Amino acid sequence: METILNILFSGVFNASTLFLVAAGLQVVFGVQKVFNLACGSFYALGAYFGIVVVKSFVAGGFPKPLFIAPLIGAGLLLGFIGPIFERGLIKFVYGRDETFQLLLTFAIVMMIEDVIKFIWGTSPQTMGGIDLVYGQLNVLGATVPVYNLIVILCSLIIAALIGYILLNTKFGRIIRATADKREMSEALGINMTLVYVKVFTLGTVLGTLGGALVIPATAAVSEMGVELIVLAFAVVVIGGLGSMKGAFIGALIVGVLKSIAISTYPELEMLTIYIIVIAVLVIKPQGLFGGARV
Amino acid sequence: MEKTRREFVKLVGGAALGAGVMLAGRGKARAQAKSFKGVPSEPVKIGAMPGLTGVIAVPGTAAWRTTQMWVDEVNAAGGILGRKIELFMEEETSAKDCVERFRKLTLEKKCDVIVGLMSTGNGLAVGPLAEELGQLWLSWDATTQKGVEETMPKTKFVFRSTDNEAEAIGGAILTAKFFPNIKTVAGINNDYSYGRDCWDSYQAVLKHFNPNVKFVEALWPKLGETDFTSHIAALKKANPDLIMTSFWSGDVPILMKQAAAVGLFKKTKACFTTGGGAHYTLKKEFTPEGLILGYNSMYFKWTDTWPLLKKFVKSYYEKYKEYPVYECDHAYFVLQAYKAAVEKCYDLLGKWPTKEEIGKALSGIEVPSISGLRGYRDDNIMTCNFFQGLTTHKNPYDFVTISPIEVLTPVQIMKPTAGAKLYDWIKGWKS
Repeated sequence: METILNILFSGVFNASTLFLVAAGLQVVFGVQKVFNLACGSFYALGAYFGIVVVKSFVAGGFPKPLFIAPLIGAGLLLGFIGPIFERGLIKFVYGRDETFQLLLTFAIVMMIEDVIKFIWGTSPQTMGGIDLVYGQLNVLGATVPVYNLIVILCSLIIAALIGYILLNTKFGRIIRATADKREMSEALGINMTLVYVKVFTLGTVLGTLGGALVIPATAAVSEMGVELIVLAFAVVVIGGLGSMKGAFIGALIVGVLKSIAISTYPELEMLTIYIIVIAVLVIKPQGLFGGARV
Repeated sequence: MEKTRREFVKLVGGAALGAGVMLAGRGKARAQAKSFKGVPSEPVKIGAMPGLTGVIAVPGTAAWRTTQMWVDEVNAAGGILGRKIELFMEEETSAKDCVERFRKLTLEKKCDVIVGLMSTGNGLAVGPLAEELGQLWLSWDATTQKGVEETMPKTKFVFRSTDNEAEAIGGAILTAKFFPNIKTVAGINNDYSYGRDCWDSYQAVLKHFNPNVKFVEALWPKLGETDFTSHIAALKKANPDLIMTSFWSGDVPILMKQAAAVGLFKKTKACFTTGGGAHYTLKKEFTPEGLILGYNSMYFKWTDTWPLLKKFVKSYYEKYKEYPVYECDHAYFVLQAYKAAVEKCYDLLGKWPTKEEIGKALSGIEVPSISGLRGYRDDNIMTCNFFQGLTTHKNPYDFVTISPIEVLTPVQIMKPTAGAKLYDWIKGWKS
């Protein structure tokens, strides 16, 4: 039982950060039809910025257990880079061939990696052991870091919040309408420029918040975003491109499956995930919750 | 082991006063000379190939910084035989690109020597090319090993790093020494040749000293992995007495942090054979005492009696606000060796030597580097001591250091010749 719980908790923790990045990817693709490779880089930026903010918070003499507040604040605040990238670069590839979009967003990945190295250097950055202040929880013999549970909880809250916004608010209805029929939405007087800026910012915030949330439990390295993009792709393919529900279920499948594979047949870690990806592509090419709907 | 360490300290004590001071004096004397007969006036061209992106960015940047520091220092002292050094840099990326860039540095930039490269895959690609072009290549960390076997046992222009598995052999020797009663071991190593070689070598050596030990789990995260929570769950399931890893970059603090979060090292011991590659990131808050930690060929706190180390650590810290890692020593050593070989040839020939002559002088050379006296064997493989020990919190830093410091000598951890078979060599050891 203890082993099963350890595997499950680690898988769900993995899935919770994957979900945030994949959700960012989904929302931008769903509305803007742009495949944003840079979502992983926003995640990395969120991690580095989170370290700066929390270190300043602790240096300012504030109590360590409260670090989660400035950390979330850092993730949200960094979202301001969303409109800059959207207006400055992304808008030029709307409606163009996917190759242009991929090239542009890949260029952003490379640029952000260099910016990170320019500002923070190449050495790994950590917050020390700040996450350890919350201690551990014993769940039926399994040791679970409380901070990891906080990250899982935050992801669930964010997932619920996104669900609520999409289904119950005017902004959500506009997003869904735009994802479904862009021309019709525009004809109805919706300011598409504003929608695109807002949606891209939402996608960016999901990435930066994910990076900020995960960083106390790990270390920031400049290439961390690239690493995550690959898995986020698997999540998107399994869940269905453009589907928020798909991002949630896809992240859970990838996270838990990865954890099970490592514990049983470590050599098959990646193979297992991509067997599922291939199976989905063959049996249900649009993904489990397919269609470009958010 | 004790005897070896005492012998080494004695050697170093003499060397610090002798060789180090002698080199400084010699440099000064040469710098004071106005010109050297038979030496061209144009600059010596040195090509450097550091890895500055991806996982090798941490050691690559350290080595590149060191190269620049060394060149500035030597230029300020008058250069090599009065010739100033001009530095050219081409980044280490993929094997294909490295081959192109090596060619460019040789044929286009007309470099006299090329230093650098850290990936074994790149070394395997560049090694034969260097021999073909007749270009001196002094590698930092890249070998020309395939698995644990050397593919170029005889070279004229290629001067390679230590064998890949030296640190794992050292880690296994110390595991047997510090933890003789362990019964089960699990490994977590990156899924590429270095990780595989280290795990195989570690098992062979530990089994040699402790035949009853069982290896209960082997995990292979890919290079660049940034989340080990699932691997830690698997390690907890395996419940070994000791965990061995050859992680050497950003993955070291991540594994340590995530292990601390579930109290993995409260009962389980660990051997981080190469963790010193990112030693200053191992904060005391999450790194326990009593784990084996390897620093490879340079430990920044090794001794106060080696002036080159003391001076270098001070300058490096003042400039970059970081404590140097072992790759700095590889970078420093290869340049020291090149300079010494040129000067040695000049003393004999009275002219600036050819690449072939420098190559001959480099074989078997010994020079003072940051980590002590280091050299090349006659088969052009680097030799150096490796520094490992048990983690301790008793220091003025916010990260762990090691105590006691175990100095593992080349005789203990490196095959005697490039062509020797690793496992036959280990089998021949006395228990």
